[in-house]
Amino acid sequence: MADNMKPIASYVFEMQDLNGWYGDRQVLKNISLLIPEQQITAIIGPSGCGKSTFIRCLNRINDLIRDFRISGRVLFKGQDIYDPAMDPVEIRLRVGMVFQKPNPFPKSIYDNVAYGPLIWGARKGPELDAAVEKSLKRTALWDEVKDILHQSALALSGGQQQRLCIARALAVEPEVLLLDEPCSALDPIATSRIEELLFELKKSYTIVVVTHNMQQAARVSDITGFFLLGELIEVGETKHIFTNPTDRRTEDYITGRFG
Amino acid sequence: MKFLSKDLRGILVRRYWADRIFRLCTVTMFLITLGTLAALLIDVFSDGVGRLSWAFLTSFPSRKPERAGILSALVGTVYLVILTAVIAFPVGVGAAIYLEEYARRGRMSRFIELNIANLAGVPSIIYGLLGLELFVRTMHLGQSLLAGALTMALLVLPLVIITSQEALRAVPPSIREASFALGASLWQTIWNQVLPLAFPGILTGAILAASRAIGEAAPLIIVGALTYIAFLPDSLIAPFTVMPIQIFNWVSRPQNGFYEAAAAAIIVLLALLFLMNVVSVYLRQKYQKRMSL
Repeated sequence: MADNMKPIASYVFEMQDLNGWYGDRQVLKNISLLIPEQQITAIIGPSGCGKSTFIRCLNRINDLIRDFRISGRVLFKGQDIYDPAMDPVEIRLRVGMVFQKPNPFPKSIYDNVAYGPLIWGARKGPELDAAVEKSLKRTALWDEVKDILHQSALALSGGQQQRLCIARALAVEPEVLLLDEPCSALDPIATSRIEELLFELKKSYTIVVVTHNMQQAARVSDITGFFLLGELIEVGETKHIFTNPTDRRTEDYITGRFG
Repeated sequence: MKFLSKDLRGILVRRYWADRIFRLCTVTMFLITLGTLAALLIDVFSDGVGRLSWAFLTSFPSRKPERAGILSALVGTVYLVILTAVIAFPVGVGAAIYLEEYARRGRMSRFIELNIANLAGVPSIIYGLLGLELFVRTMHLGQSLLAGALTMALLVLPLVIITSQEALRAVPPSIREASFALGASLWQTIWNQVLPLAFPGILTGAILAASRAIGEAAPLIIVGALTYIAFLPDSLIAPFTVMPIQIFNWVSRPQNGFYEAAAAAIIVLLALLFLMNVVSVYLRQKYQKRMSL
């Protein structure tokens, strides 16, 4: 179990000795980490350190990659999500995800947000309309798109597309939101809007965000974990990690000596 | 600076010459293609255009060249192509979806895919022999439209599978991930996201396959399509003929009049192909526009 973390109300995820391989190449090494509820946990580290692979284990989206395998346990609210009895589809309903590049469906804005509820059995009608509106309002996109709901999502700007993707993920009311470098394809203004949004969402969701922008981690997160070459080097309160890291490698990274 | 030597001009001049020569080569290749096609079209049109008339389209074949028409072959071709598409499209697209989305990657699936690619190159007459044995004799379908269409479906199946697989493969993985991340099942992802995006590509493959089916004569001759028919097929098991067979038949007659009729039939066949391609381009663009706007 991860140490150096002061007790916080409760934990949503608990990783125990998580190892991950692509074929023969080990990309995650003995990761043990707790992810606290209704906090923003940031995962930082240089490219190729395994942080994306790590976050993709939390909703089993890595299952889609042939020849990827893991060992160890990932407990989500006490249940092992890699237990053969667990249905990955149910996990993905409860653990939403936003990807590095905005990936709206080539459909209308409305259809993008409505897709999740529809595949989970919602019917078209005023109730669905209200759910779509609610999700778009939560991501502060509603005022910008309320008159063009039935136009293609691809006509939106990159930042708007990414907020749409967040709205789409929220529409199925997950308990956790995973964001894999959500701002790496966005300009600074769009980035700051997403960051504001994360603050707002923190009130009702547990958020895990992978980023290689250290300032972003420092700005938005409560907890920061530093990954290097597939290992979790250090994890702790963001304040602590950025001002007084324990490990020499963390210090080297955040002071810009490598990475 | 080293590169700005006094020979700079010379280097540039040589480079521009190389450019011009390459351009000339490609233009020549293009003109050879265009010229051949033009020659073919001009030859066919000059021979056959005089013979084209409403009566030609609506008459049955005849022993007298000036009264011979193409009705039974035209109708036979249209029926055959539609029937072939109805059989080959769902089977081919279904197989492609299985191979692309469900089958486990491995030596076995690679081996199967290699064999499908191979089958696309098997001479059509072999399919005719298979159709004769399987559909005409074993399944007792006789020398019928249905037996012909089934044979043609076998013939175009590899083409439909390969083009559909390519269309499915071209759907960006990010779209699948987005769907799965919302908790969609594989089936929901395929049906709602992957297939609509792959559809224009699949459609192109289907039209290509149908175009191939329109031009084939050999396997149908083996399966037993007739060369002279004075009635229209009225059921799936009716005997039939198709345009390439009619053309082949007319070309091999000694009378000049039949030669003209063959040229006219070729024009009709080309027009039919042209029409199909126009429809496919139209459908594809309409669909792609919906996807991207």
